[in-house]
Amino acid sequence: MFPTIDWSLILLELLITMILVVLVVLDLALPKDTKKDWLGILSLAGLFGLIGFWLTQRALVGTTFSGMFMMDSLAWFFKGFFLMAMVFVIAMTQQFFKSMRSRKNEFYLLLWLALLGMCLVASSADFLMLFIAIEILTISLYVMTAYLKSDKHSLEAGMKYLILGALSSGFFLYGISFLYGTTRSTHFEAIQGFVSSHAMAPMTAFALVLIFAAVGFKIAAVPFHWWVPDVYQGAPTPVTALLSVGSKAAGFVVLMRLFFGIFASWHGQWTLVLAALSAVTMCYGNLGAMFQTNIKRLLGYSSIGHAGYLLMGAAAGSALGASAINFYLLGYLFTNLGAFLVIVLFFISSKSDEIKNYAGLVKRSPLLACTLLLALVSLAGVPPLAGFFGKFILLMATVKSGLLWLAFIAVVNIVISLYYYLMVAKRIYVDAPHTTSIIPVSRPMRLLLGIAIVGMIGIGIFQGPFLDVAMTAVKGMYFLPK
Amino acid sequence: MMIPHLLSLILLLPTMGLGVLFFVPSDKTSLIRRISNVALLLPFLLSLWVFAAYNPTAGGFQFIENIPWVVPLGISYHLGVDGINALLTLLVGIGSLAAVLVSASIKERVKEYYILLLLTVVGTYGAFLSLDIFFFYFLHEIATIPVFLLIGVWGSQRRDYAAMKLTLYLTAGASLALIGLLALYVATGLGTFDFIQIQQHLANHPLPVDVQNWIFPLIVIGFGITLTLWPFHTWAPVGYAEAPTAVSMLHAGVIKKLGAYAIIRFAIQLMPQAAHTWMPIIATLAVVNILFCGIVALTQRDMKYILGYSSCSHMGYVLLGLACLNIIGLNGVVFLMFAHGVMAALAFALTGFFADQTNTRNLDELGGLAKRMPFIAACFSMAALASAGVPGFANFVAEIMVLLGAWDQYHLYTVLAVLGVVITAIYMLKAIRFGFQGPINPRWTKVTDAQTSLAKLPFVLLLVALMLVGCWPSLIMKHIESGTKTIYVSNH
Repeated sequence: MFPTIDWSLILLELLITMILVVLVVLDLALPKDTKKDWLGILSLAGLFGLIGFWLTQRALVGTTFSGMFMMDSLAWFFKGFFLMAMVFVIAMTQQFFKSMRSRKNEFYLLLWLALLGMCLVASSADFLMLFIAIEILTISLYVMTAYLKSDKHSLEAGMKYLILGALSSGFFLYGISFLYGTTRSTHFEAIQGFVSSHAMAPMTAFALVLIFAAVGFKIAAVPFHWWVPDVYQGAPTPVTALLSVGSKAAGFVVLMRLFFGIFASWHGQWTLVLAALSAVTMCYGNLGAMFQTNIKRLLGYSSIGHAGYLLMGAAAGSALGASAINFYLLGYLFTNLGAFLVIVLFFISSKSDEIKNYAGLVKRSPLLACTLLLALVSLAGVPPLAGFFGKFILLMATVKSGLLWLAFIAVVNIVISLYYYLMVAKRIYVDAPHTTSIIPVSRPMRLLLGIAIVGMIGIGIFQGPFLDVAMTAVKGMYFLPK
Repeated sequence: MMIPHLLSLILLLPTMGLGVLFFVPSDKTSLIRRISNVALLLPFLLSLWVFAAYNPTAGGFQFIENIPWVVPLGISYHLGVDGINALLTLLVGIGSLAAVLVSASIKERVKEYYILLLLTVVGTYGAFLSLDIFFFYFLHEIATIPVFLLIGVWGSQRRDYAAMKLTLYLTAGASLALIGLLALYVATGLGTFDFIQIQQHLANHPLPVDVQNWIFPLIVIGFGITLTLWPFHTWAPVGYAEAPTAVSMLHAGVIKKLGAYAIIRFAIQLMPQAAHTWMPIIATLAVVNILFCGIVALTQRDMKYILGYSSCSHMGYVLLGLACLNIIGLNGVVFLMFAHGVMAALAFALTGFFADQTNTRNLDELGGLAKRMPFIAACFSMAALASAGVPGFANFVAEIMVLLGAWDQYHLYTVLAVLGVVITAIYMLKAIRFGFQGPINPRWTKVTDAQTSLAKLPFVLLLVALMLVGCWPSLIMKHIESGTKTIYVSNH
C-alpha cells in the first residue's frame, strides 16, 4: 500500500526541479552561437517567481514521504535564505562569465542543482535523506569549483574540495551507521525519542562526532577547515560566494537540527566541546586572515572566523542562541554577497583579486568602494550595520549561558578582525590608485549593490522585524524538544 | 513653547544633512560646507534650548521620548536628559559647531569629509542623549569608526599608524565594556536595556557584591580606555596629533567624555558597592595619569603632542574626582568634563589654525607667531591659562571642586594632583613662549591671522563658553547638581 503523500509540502523543490529540467532542454535547444544569455535571464526570472511562491508557504508545517521530508518554520526560513543568496550568485555568474571564454550554461544548471540540494537539506527529516541532499549540493559544488578548466588554481581547488569533501561524506555515512546501530533508526524523530530517554553512550557519542565532522566541513569549522583558503581563492568567485553563504548556511541548518533538536537532551555534554571549537575556529580564522594579500583568500579566512562566531550561538544552546545564528546569517547574506559582488565586478575590469590592486578604488568607482567598505565594516561588526547586531545577540546569548570566557575570546577576535578589514578599507579609501581608469558598473548591478547596502543598513538599524523572523524560525522547529 | 521630539530632532537634523550631502555633486564644495554648517548649527541651537529649558529644580529625566525598538530583547529608542547630559549635549553642540567651522581648511575630498564628520557627530549626540544602554553603545560605536577614515585620509604624516591604533584601542575598550554591560543586563534579570528601569530596580535590589565586583572593572576599564586611563592612554596623543583639526577637537573635547559619562552612569550609579571596592585603585591610576602624562607632556616639542598628553593628564582629574565618591568631587568631574572639553577643542583648533600655514607644529621651528597672528596668540594664551587652572576660566572652578572632593578621601593624592597643576602651567607656558613669543622665525613672515569674523567665530564661541562658565559657574552648576544628586541617592 502506498502511504499518502502531501505534495504541497515539497512543491518548492518540485518547482526547482522543473525549472532545472526546462533549463536543460533549453540549453540543448538553443542554437550554439546565441549571444543572449537566456539561461541567466530565465534563472533570475525563475528565482523571483520562486521567492514569490516561497512567501505563500510560510505557515506550512508537516512531514511527508513517510517522514523523510518535512516542512517547518526553520526550513521555510532557510529556503528563503537560499533563494535570496541564489539571486546574488546568479547575477554574479552572469557578470563573471562575460569576461571568460568558458561556456556558462552548464554553470547555471549546476547552480540550480545546488539550490535544490540546499533546500532539501533544510527539509530533511531523516539522516539518509539528509545524506542525499548534502551530496546533491556538494557534488554540484565539486564541479563548479573546478569549472575553469584552463585555470590551474581552479583545478587545484576542485581537487582539494573533492578529496576532503569525499572524506567528510564518508565520515557522515559512517556516523549514520553507528547511529543506526545504537538507535535502530535513521529518522530524526525516532532518534530524538531515543536520545531523550537514554544517557549518552560512547557509541552514540562517536557517531555524533563523525556526523559533526561532516557538518564542520560544510560550515568550515576547525579542524575541518583545511580546504577553505585554497578553495575560496581558486574557485570561480560566484562559487566562492555560494560556498561562503549558501553552503555554510546549509551546514548550520543541519547543526541546528542536530544540537537544538535531535540531540538537545544531551545539551550539557556538548556545550563545552562546541564552545571550544568555536573559540579555536574564530582565532584560527581571524589570525590567518591578518596576513592575506588576496581578497578572496582573506574572505576565506574571515569566513572561518565567522563560523567560529556562529558556533557561539550553538554553544549557548538557548533559543536566543539559535535565533542569533539565524539573524547573523541573514546579515551575513547581504554583507558577504555584497562583498563578493564587488569582487566580481572589480575582477572583470582589472583581472585581479590582489588587495594591493584595490588601492584607490574610491576614485575609480565610489559605489563599489562604498559597498565594499560597508561590507567589510559590517563583517567586523560595526554599527549601524547588520553584522553589529548579529554579533551583539550572539555575545548576549553567550553571556546569558554563562560562557563568559568565550565572550572574551570573541571580543579579542572582533578587534583582530577589525584590523585586517580596516587594512583593506584603508587601501580602498586612503591609498592612491595605480590607474585612474573608471570601473563601469551597469544599471542592474547598481541595483543589486544597492539592495546589498539597503540590506546591511536596514537589518542593522531596524533589527526588530528581522529578529522576529529569526526567532519565529526557531520557535516553530518541528523536532524542538517540547 | 515646546517643540515635540526635541531630542530626536537634534539627531535627525545632522542625519538629514548627511543624507542630503550624498546627493550633492562633490565639486560643489561651498554648498557642501554650507549644508554641513547648518546641519550642525541647528542642533547646537536646539541643544542650547534643551539646556535652557531643562528644569533643574524638578530634576530627573526630562524631554523623554520612548519608542519600543526590539521588543523581545527589551531594547527601546529611549532619549532623555537630566542635568548631566543636558550639559554634555550642549558640549557636543559647541564642540561640533566649532569643529565644522574650522573644517573650512579641508580642501580635498570635501564631500566625504563632511559626511564622515556628520556621522561622528550624530553618534556622539546620540550616545549622550540615549537612555537605553543598547543604543548608547550602538551610537557610541558609530562615533568611533568613521574617525578611522577621517584620520586615515585627512591626517598628517603618521596617520596610518595613528588611525589604526586609535580605532583598535577604542574598539577593544568598548567591546570589553560591552561584555560588562551584557553581564549587567543578564544579572539584573529584567530583560531590558532601559536605563531608567534598571536604575530603579537596582536602587531597591542591588546586585550581589561579588557580581558587582567583576562587572564594575569591565565597564570602568573598557570605557576608561576611551577616557585615556593610564596605561591605556597611548592611542590618544598620537591619534590627536595626526588627526585633522576638527577630529582632534571633537575627540579630545567631546568623544572622550563619553567614557567618563558611561562610567558615571553605568558603573558608579548602578553598582555603588563595587565602586567603593575599586575606587582606591582608580584613584591611584588617576594620579599616575596626572603625573605621568604631565611629565611626558613636558618633554614634547610637538604642539599637538603637548596638548594630547595634557589632555590625558587632565583626564586624571576626572578619574580622581570619580574616585572620591562624594558629591563635590562628582560635581567637579561633570564641570571639568565641560570645561576641559571646551578648552581642549579651543587649543586644538588654534594649533590647527597656525599649523595649516606653518606646516610644522614643532616648537623648535616656531616662535614669534604672536607678531603675525595676535588674535590667535591671545586666544591660545587664554586657553593655556584656562588649562593651567587660572581663576576666571571654567577649569579653575572644576579643578578646585575635584581637589576639595579628593582631599576628603586621599590626602597624598590631592597633594600630588596639585603638583600636576604646576606641571600643566610649566608646559603650557613653554608652549606659549616657544610658539608665539620670542624673535620671529623669518619663515613665518607670510603667516596671517584669522581675518574674517567667520574665521574667528569658532574660537570666540569656545572662548566665550569657557569664560562665561568660569566667571559665572552657577550658570551650569544647578544643572550639574540636579544630575549628580540622583547618582548618590542610589549610592548611600
